[in-house]
Amino acid sequence: MVRIEFLFPEVANLYGDPFNVKYLKNSLKDAEVIETTLTDEPRFVNEEIDMIYMGSMSEKAQVIIIEKLKKYKNELQEFINKNKVVLFTGNAFEILGKYIEDEEQNKIEGLGIIDTYAIIDRKHRYNTLFLGELNCEEKLKILGFKATFSFSYTDNTKDYFCKSIRGCGNHKESNLEGIRIKNLFGTYLIGPLLIINPKFTKYIMRLLGEDNPELQFEKEAMDCYEEKLKIFEKQEINYLQ
Amino acid sequence: MKFKFYLALYISKLIKNTLHILSKFMKVNGSHLPGNIATKICPNFLSIVSKPKTIIAVTGTNGKTTTSNLIIDALEAKGYKVLNNKTGSNVLGGVTTSLFSGVSLGNKSKFDIAVLEVDEKSTPRIFKYVTPTYLVVTNLFRDSLKRNAHSEYIFDLINKSIPEETTLILNADDLISNKLKAKNSNKKIYFGINELDTDTNESINIVNDARICPICYSKLKYNFVRYHHIGKAYCENCGYKSPEADYIVKKVDYQNNFINVFYDGKEFEYKMVSDSIFNIYNQIAAITVLKQLKIKDKDIKDIFLNMEVTKDRVKIEKIGNYSIINHLAKGQNPVACSIVFKYVKERKTSKEIVLLVEDYHDNKESSENTAWFYDCDFEFLNDESIKRIIVSGVIAKDIEFRLLLAGVSKEKIVALKDENEVAEKLSYNEENEIFILYDMYQSKAVDKVNSDIKRKIEKITK
Repeated sequence: MVRIEFLFPEVANLYGDPFNVKYLKNSLKDAEVIETTLTDEPRFVNEEIDMIYMGSMSEKAQVIIIEKLKKYKNELQEFINKNKVVLFTGNAFEILGKYIEDEEQNKIEGLGIIDTYAIIDRKHRYNTLFLGELNCEEKLKILGFKATFSFSYTDNTKDYFCKSIRGCGNHKESNLEGIRIKNLFGTYLIGPLLIINPKFTKYIMRLLGEDNPELQFEKEAMDCYEEKLKIFEKQEINYLQ
Repeated sequence: MKFKFYLALYISKLIKNTLHILSKFMKVNGSHLPGNIATKICPNFLSIVSKPKTIIAVTGTNGKTTTSNLIIDALEAKGYKVLNNKTGSNVLGGVTTSLFSGVSLGNKSKFDIAVLEVDEKSTPRIFKYVTPTYLVVTNLFRDSLKRNAHSEYIFDLINKSIPEETTLILNADDLISNKLKAKNSNKKIYFGINELDTDTNESINIVNDARICPICYSKLKYNFVRYHHIGKAYCENCGYKSPEADYIVKKVDYQNNFINVFYDGKEFEYKMVSDSIFNIYNQIAAITVLKQLKIKDKDIKDIFLNMEVTKDRVKIEKIGNYSIINHLAKGQNPVACSIVFKYVKERKTSKEIVLLVEDYHDNKESSENTAWFYDCDFEFLNDESIKRIIVSGVIAKDIEFRLLLAGVSKEKIVALKDENEVAEKLSYNEENEIFILYDMYQSKAVDKVNSDIKRKIEKITK
């Protein structure tokens, strides 16, 4: 059985992100989702867990979660080192970085697991579509949406999640989106990432040990993907919203 | 500075009057324009312009227009002249236009009282210059994720902008907005509705933004949940709990159309202005305001006898034996759509639904961010009473997929690229009500679908 730990769904649940876990669970043959709350000890510390997921959250929730996970930093680092799957969507991966600074220069220290820092500017929201190639041999095309107050800065030339075809990367001038270190995937893409990217979902399922992955409503998911890809590849459509 | 102010006042008044005359001949939309010009000429115009002695501001995600209108109508019925932005806009420019319309050429206010509907995101810019005597916050929910991000973001914007002197009128049952100015000395008055038969113990919605205790972050326990984070809650760990309402609806009698309200140690009975729970909240908010203005209990009672909230979001039409129900379902607003989907599910008839909820503009020029579909309770549409769902639009397939994940069987769903074929796909079984759920920018498709359906019905019944 695949055991997925969904960290802090009571706060890290913005923009429909939790549906990624639901879809993955429904697609896997035998999977269990464990929801860990802010008052629990994370399961990855003492139990066999195959994947950790965390979704978009408010800026205040980032502070609470960093405080909560500080104690378990080494265990999380070890989890990543062991090639286990970690998927953080939206601003969740920012907490893994060195620090997060907001528009009033309040700076909070992150977990320091990855070599990035994030700058939040709540006065400007940035909405864009994204089309890119996954950092993997097959160069899967990834589609997505971003709606963000923050950007991340780092040298991710080797460790990126996707190389952008259109739509910005970790910040407006970057063409490299998110981070990928071993099987840790961190991306600013929000919402139904695994639903609109069925090929990527199957890729994750393979990493989780499913040799012949089959998705829930696979045919329909693939149709939607191909259709959306065609729209996203049209030169005339606006990426900025 | 004085010169600049008066220059701004005269120019903007002139522009406003010109626009008013023009509007009789053509469509001009711009109640915020004169206000914006005034601020351009004189940056602190809004602070200098004379204001009525009492200012009631109304903000919140849902219900601010209805609540403002109830207060305005009630005060006018009592003979007050009320300065308001009912026909204008609720952002900085619109509020500025309303306020300068209320002063003489010598900058003397012609009104004693103002009721201003204020857009949540505009509160920082407006309350910097305008100190409301009372601020009503109806509720705070997730709205468009592109513009409003999340409810905590909107909460912080409002919380930081409220002046110290303002008395807050807050919804005790809203676990987010009832925390406004919790740590400050502002006077606070709460309104609420007692537990109802229809309430539950756990949230049945996908979105609930108040799941943890704001003090110790433990999981909140709900005495009851009405919808999303509306309800009454407490924390077992630290003792935090929802505030007690000062003005509370004790009883809702749908049969006889009245509500019983308890305050000042007494119970009062009022005629309901509408039978939706959302409007009962708006009504109790309005009652709370009217009480602060010292309007007599008997007068409030009389005022509501003749008042009704018009249901401009629902249009029910009967054609022969067929019912067509058009219902606004604000796209990109997951909570608003969830409420409509629940309403459709709970209607005790069988029905077929046309969904026109995708964003017209986004899908014309770009591609809609579909994240909100997954914050929205499409699960309500998975119901035996719903026989068919026809989805139309550029991304109809994405909505079809969302419906599949909600458990709706594929045979029930028809996904179409545009509105042209929609009417063909309905069954025209007289037992099924035809629901058309639409986003406000879908008017072209809505008109087409409605007229096609009517033509089809005519053909059948001939």
